[in-house]
Amino acid sequence: MASLIVRKNVDNLDAAELAALRTGYTKAQAIMDNRGYNHFAGLHGIPNWYCWHHDHTTGSTVNANLFLPWHRAYLLSFERAIRDQSPATPKVGLPWWDWSSATSHSNGVPKAFSDATAGGKANPLLRARIFAPTATPPIDRQTRRFPGNPAQLPTAAKITNLLNLGTFNDFSNQLENIHDFIHGWTGGNNGSIGGDMSSLATAAWDPIFYSHHCMIDRLWYVWQSKHGINNIPASLLPLVLTPFNMKVQDVLSINALGYEYAVSFVTL
Amino acid sequence: MASKAKATSGSTGHKTPKPAKGSARPGMYRASTIYKAPRALPVSQLPAQFGRADLEFIGIDHSGATYEARVYVNNPKANADTQTTLANGYAGSYYIFGHGGCFGDLGHCDIPQKQDAFDRRPSHPLEPLRKVVIATEAIKQAAAKSSEIHITVVPLIMSWTEKTDLKDVMRFDHINLVTYD
Repeated sequence: MASLIVRKNVDNLDAAELAALRTGYTKAQAIMDNRGYNHFAGLHGIPNWYCWHHDHTTGSTVNANLFLPWHRAYLLSFERAIRDQSPATPKVGLPWWDWSSATSHSNGVPKAFSDATAGGKANPLLRARIFAPTATPPIDRQTRRFPGNPAQLPTAAKITNLLNLGTFNDFSNQLENIHDFIHGWTGGNNGSIGGDMSSLATAAWDPIFYSHHCMIDRLWYVWQSKHGINNIPASLLPLVLTPFNMKVQDVLSINALGYEYAVSFVTL
Repeated sequence: MASKAKATSGSTGHKTPKPAKGSARPGMYRASTIYKAPRALPVSQLPAQFGRADLEFIGIDHSGATYEARVYVNNPKANADTQTTLANGYAGSYYIFGHGGCFGDLGHCDIPQKQDAFDRRPSHPLEPLRKVVIATEAIKQAAAKSSEIHITVVPLIMSWTEKTDLKDVMRFDHINLVTYD
């Protein structure tokens, strides 16, 4: 029986796990076909604009709030692509960035994403190449990031209040507001221009995007544990999460999708 | 209460906005237009008891810069330097993760009409948003002290691209004040 992928807090990855993650990112960033980092980053904003934020209408009369299920499916596809390029051992899942932790409130962006080099090479978690030749104008540059003051990150108390909201739409909308703040905070600006995490067009090229969304996905999982795994409007269940060939009803159980969230995981 | 914001056309061209001083966070920049709801809500129209009060922002444009919208109740002088405290009537903020301007060809960022009833394509990514600020404490405080509820919204720019209009970053259609048991 296959074992579940374990997603951990990025601050709890050991050296071997972090190196394996970086190997996966480095190799994926070097691939320019549909297995590669540039392809997956381009699914979110430029050039494909598949990302789902806030309420939208679908082809039916449903006013769909698909922010959480769409990004769950997106992370799943991206994680598989990175694991395809990662070493056989240790196998790592996408780590989450807990921006509400005391560590984040002290240090801001985790060291794993802010170190300039790792193992004597450029850190693939710091920045990535945006290659979007069909954008107007075409884009071919490295990502940029100007994070804000760590003291402004959401507090644990704010997260506790969020997790106590009882309905899916209310929880999703309030979580998405925090999510929007984190994008703005992380990308920031240098006085002349903003960082890529702050623009929906290019956010998914910044490597920290996926660990930010891993935290979002984890919070949904924690909320589901409290309020019910199927606590979601029934009208959303059959809706398709383009382009991942999945429906909302397919992404409600993270265990059924093959992963779990763990604070620590030790083999004795 | 439904308040209608004036439509703002904004101007093209890019100019770095001015930094906000004082309580604004480092890296936050003041935008040119502070919104004041054109009508006040008489407190007499609020229920005597309510457990929660939401300010719903309807029809928000999210095509441009990324910004914070700080919502104040009964503080018409609120600006980028006003402390975000309940004593100042601060109700909360909504954040817009902006699209950063238009990176497609001509017409890419125009929101199309459905061709007909059989057009099952999802709505355009730039369809206007709805945001909810849970404003219970600020509304209750205002209702206890005043006979009217006035809403002021102060935008602060967090980030922008070379394609974003920075003159009028905050655009929405109207605000609803909704109370719940």
